[in-house]
Amino acid sequence: MIRVGLRDARAHFSRFLLSIVAIALGVSFVVGSFCFREMLNNQVDEMMATNADHDVYVRGTEKQQDGDQDSSDSGSSSGTTAYNDIDTSLVSVIGKVKGVDSVSTDISISGRLTLVGKDGNAVSGGMSGSTTGVDGKAWRSARLDEGRWPKNRHEVALHSFAVEQSGLHVGDTTKLVYPSGPEDVKVVGVFSTESSQAGALLIGLPGSVVKDLCEQSSGQSGRTQTINVYGSANGGSPLDADQQRELADRIDKALPASAKAHAITGDQMRDESSKSNKEMLGFIQPLILIFAVIALFVGSFIIANTFSMIVRESMRGYALLRSIGASGGQVFLTVIIQALLLGLAGSVAGIALGWGMVKAIATLLARIGMPLTGSVAPTPNDMLVGLLVGVAVAVIGAALPARRAAMAPPIQAMNETVNPEPSVVPRAVAGTVVTLIGAASWVLCWRIGASGSGDPTPFAPVNALAKMLGTGWTLGIGAACVVIGVIMIGPALVNAASVLLGWLPSLLFPVAGRLAMRNLSRQKRRTSNTAAALFVGVAIVSCLGVVASSVNASVAGLIDNELRTDYIVYSNNGRIPDKAVAGITSIKDVKSVSVSRMMPSVKFDGKSAMAFAEQPTVFSDVMDPTSTQGDADKALRAGELVVGEKLMEDRGWKLGDKVTITGKRVVVDKDATAKAQADYQAKVQSNAQALQAEAQALLAQGDVAGAKAKGDEAQKVVDDARNVDPSTLITTREEPTKAVKRIGAVISNSIYRTMVLMNDEQAEKLTNKEAMFTIMLFVTARKGSDVDGLRAKILKQTKPYYVLSVKNHDEYKSTVSSLVDQMLIVLYALLALSIVIAIFGIVNTLSLSVSERTREIGLLRAIGTSKATIRGMLAIEAALISVLGTVLGLVTGTAAGVVIQQTYRSSGMEHLAIPWGQLGVFLLLSIGIGVLASLPPARRALKAPVLDAVASE
Amino acid sequence: MARYGTHHIDQRASGDDSVVARAIDLVKTYGVGDAQVKALDHLSVDFARGEMTAIMGPSGSGKSTLMHCMAGLDKPTSGRVEVEGLEVSSMNQRQLTRFRREQIGFIFQSFNLVPTLSAEENILLPLQIAKKPIDRAWFDRVVDVVRLGERLSHRPSQLSGGQQQRVACARAIMARPSVIFADEPTGNLDSRTSREVLGFLKHSVSEYGQTIVMVTHDPRAASYADRVLVLADGAITRDLHHPTYQEILQVFAADDEDDMGDDANAAVPAESGDGAAA
Repeated sequence: MIRVGLRDARAHFSRFLLSIVAIALGVSFVVGSFCFREMLNNQVDEMMATNADHDVYVRGTEKQQDGDQDSSDSGSSSGTTAYNDIDTSLVSVIGKVKGVDSVSTDISISGRLTLVGKDGNAVSGGMSGSTTGVDGKAWRSARLDEGRWPKNRHEVALHSFAVEQSGLHVGDTTKLVYPSGPEDVKVVGVFSTESSQAGALLIGLPGSVVKDLCEQSSGQSGRTQTINVYGSANGGSPLDADQQRELADRIDKALPASAKAHAITGDQMRDESSKSNKEMLGFIQPLILIFAVIALFVGSFIIANTFSMIVRESMRGYALLRSIGASGGQVFLTVIIQALLLGLAGSVAGIALGWGMVKAIATLLARIGMPLTGSVAPTPNDMLVGLLVGVAVAVIGAALPARRAAMAPPIQAMNETVNPEPSVVPRAVAGTVVTLIGAASWVLCWRIGASGSGDPTPFAPVNALAKMLGTGWTLGIGAACVVIGVIMIGPALVNAASVLLGWLPSLLFPVAGRLAMRNLSRQKRRTSNTAAALFVGVAIVSCLGVVASSVNASVAGLIDNELRTDYIVYSNNGRIPDKAVAGITSIKDVKSVSVSRMMPSVKFDGKSAMAFAEQPTVFSDVMDPTSTQGDADKALRAGELVVGEKLMEDRGWKLGDKVTITGKRVVVDKDATAKAQADYQAKVQSNAQALQAEAQALLAQGDVAGAKAKGDEAQKVVDDARNVDPSTLITTREEPTKAVKRIGAVISNSIYRTMVLMNDEQAEKLTNKEAMFTIMLFVTARKGSDVDGLRAKILKQTKPYYVLSVKNHDEYKSTVSSLVDQMLIVLYALLALSIVIAIFGIVNTLSLSVSERTREIGLLRAIGTSKATIRGMLAIEAALISVLGTVLGLVTGTAAGVVIQQTYRSSGMEHLAIPWGQLGVFLLLSIGIGVLASLPPARRALKAPVLDAVASE
Repeated sequence: MARYGTHHIDQRASGDDSVVARAIDLVKTYGVGDAQVKALDHLSVDFARGEMTAIMGPSGSGKSTLMHCMAGLDKPTSGRVEVEGLEVSSMNQRQLTRFRREQIGFIFQSFNLVPTLSAEENILLPLQIAKKPIDRAWFDRVVDVVRLGERLSHRPSQLSGGQQQRVACARAIMARPSVIFADEPTGNLDSRTSREVLGFLKHSVSEYGQTIVMVTHDPRAASYADRVLVLADGAITRDLHHPTYQEILQVFAADDEDDMGDDANAAVPAESGDGAAA
């Protein structure tokens, strides 16, 4: 019997092609998603091993609740859990521990620097675009290939990738844009690292420069997130796990209890960081897997259809086998064996395809400036999973037709009439229930989002549930239930849909249209399953389309309605140099420049919040305060706080409440400085005196030359001490600041919903002027001046800084929307894939249906139906299927998009915008897809001569 | 055999309008070389307007092939087919489709109806395909004759075999084609429903002057015809005008005596068909 199966498989090979392709696609998604995840994980691990290569880390002991203080900017780690900052003075304590080679604090700073390349333009760091300054000398994994490490802020060493991107070489002079402004720098060295940096641009700077930058960006000195320690046990090589443990224990013992610091091994730190990084990237795989599921669903469906055709055609053969003594099981086997072979072929092709796809993606990423060194090869495990999935899907798809073959009675009288379908009502009822559950979950999600901190519903148990699930889960569960529910209701919708959707075609093409419409309802399950493939893909894409356009519209609305200034200036590295601000302010045509300065590390009632220092012009020239309570303009001028609506709600504040604000100011510690200077002087003095004494002793012994040398030495010590820059002896002190302010106004402008605003005067009392950085300038032109001409003048001022962008309203809007549009491109690629899969599905369903209707089509041809009419009938059938799937997808996806928009309304998605044009294009596209998919089956239907079709057997 | 042929060629020579369709020297072969089979062997025949002609003969005698060639469903290897003065044998596919749509009606043995359309829609289908206006009075009359009035909205699956065949008859006559070709129209029916269908066909010939060419195994069905052609080995062996049932039976009995082995088969299916119908 196995031989019969094998022979059959060979005979049917051409029929299997479509199924093999479908399986291959599905399996390739599965395998590809694993490969892709592994590639990213590999990359993360490699980068961790290189970029966080210390043997021991010392960090705070207390987890911070709100770690929103730019923790990734300071220190080389970027774990998500933040710990309390620790004092940098611990460095000297740790340095004394036995087995410690070197200790460092902040050795890298990202997002604050911009390198100007050989061509005079700012170098963007490939896709990830970030530029990181590192203290290469203190970094074990950095290997100097050429030249030397930089010695001051006017020298840099470049990472090999940065050399590639910038075209600069050792000896070249270029500009490096520091937060304070561009400065000339000389390239003095080139270094490389073991793993690629995923597109980040690394610039080697002296350790002191990096430290300064870190302090500036965090706004605090003397405190740091982590202290990094290299051990000396292996003479410069990394320590193994035990050695790390040992060293960490020793350091721990040395740390004073009051320091609230704790040493952990490098391995532990790396594990924590890679884990959180991997979690961040983890969303990618499920997204790919959704499409794998669609592909496999369609695949199993295509296989079921293909085997139905084959079994129907071979029924006589099976009857013959049965009549010569084959058992039902054996007949079953002949069919299943074909499915096994098919699944095997599809899976193998799919594994290769998936591997190739990930490789292609990696190549593509490298080309657009994000080289990844992680391996893309699937593991044997991945391959096994792919194989099993492929074969299982094939066998499941073939099981029902195979059963039908096995049940063939020994003498089978073939009956052309198709058995009436089982009722679709029970499934529809179940589907409706599931859909309603999903809808209810969505409503709950919307309520949670809309009610903010209040109770989402009047029912306590529901509230408890809502609290447990949050918006994410309710949204997800809702979406899953609605999608599954709609798929279940599908067959019951076919009748109504074919009448509704078929109305227009039957009006235009009376014969073809009506026949097509009726044909759809013949096999409701088949029709709706075929449509389902498109449904899921379109639903995902249209949901994201609605979300994306809502984001765009919200941002655009914000800019249009609330922003009044003529130009917005912002910096690509997050900070606008003060000189640039001064330059722009000095332009004659400028009426006002409003400077938004962010205040780092300021706490309100003990919890941090985004706070900005603003000028009074902000509410007169920049934007209308949409004050819900109080007068924002007056409050700001009076030195009161202006608080965003959302923050008010979150904190439970009321207008007029007094809020305690705490901050830090770095001040020169006069006493300590005096003492340090006195100490230094004393030390120099005593050194000199000691040397003098020695000289005296030598002189007494008659060694005149020795005495002279000692005397010179003593003189030199004194001279050196004179040449020492007194500023290096200045000791700074962090002085806590505190103020109690009244909330003078509440505003609902969406940008400021979660922020606190105060005027410059108040802000400077709370924190240093230097610590606040200017993130944006709003420039208003003088009345009657040439607004367009102003741009050139502003550009003249910003040009030397390389990183400043000047935008008017429309340009500013399009910068935001182009970002969103870029993300949509990825989605369109996925849509294209699901369309390809759906086309396969429709082609297959229609082919099956045509083969079942051979005689009927023959009859139609015999009584004078033209080929065009038959083609039209099948095209309309296919188009109706694809339109049905698309319409269901559009409705469901748009509904999901609306739910998301409503839920996250308060977090920046003010406006609902449904991209009607885009959805319309999807709909038109679906008609095209249908017509396209009908071509192969139509050719098949018309290939058979009329006579063959009608001649009685 | 040649006698009948000559007789008809003579008739055609007179060129009167009474001939609806004619076959001239038709040859149809299948296969090549040793495996070649001659289905039609230089066959010529005229079909008169307003007559019902039955074509009889054993399996493989070429009767179905003749019908298919006449109806434009099959192309003869050589020879000509003319219907209403149109040369069917030289038409291309598009012309053939148009020709079938405008000149020909079909009734098949089984699977006559489009299962997704109601009885009424099936009847009107040819007119709609041809985009011809629907003559409601004619439709009512046809429906009345085939007694389908109450079943018009039913789907074929809800109709009995006889009813289905009556719908097929109504559909064939609805467009008033030049010729209706019926391929074993009663092959799947019992004798009572066979009589109904045949009665209707005969009625449409006598009342409306419809031309019908019917291929059948059943002598009883053939006895409804105005003329019975008997085929063997791709040629016409008998041409009977208004034969009685008895005469037809006798022809087959005589054939049995004439050429023993070969035509013995002819009588068997005819009789068994009759038996099945009974």
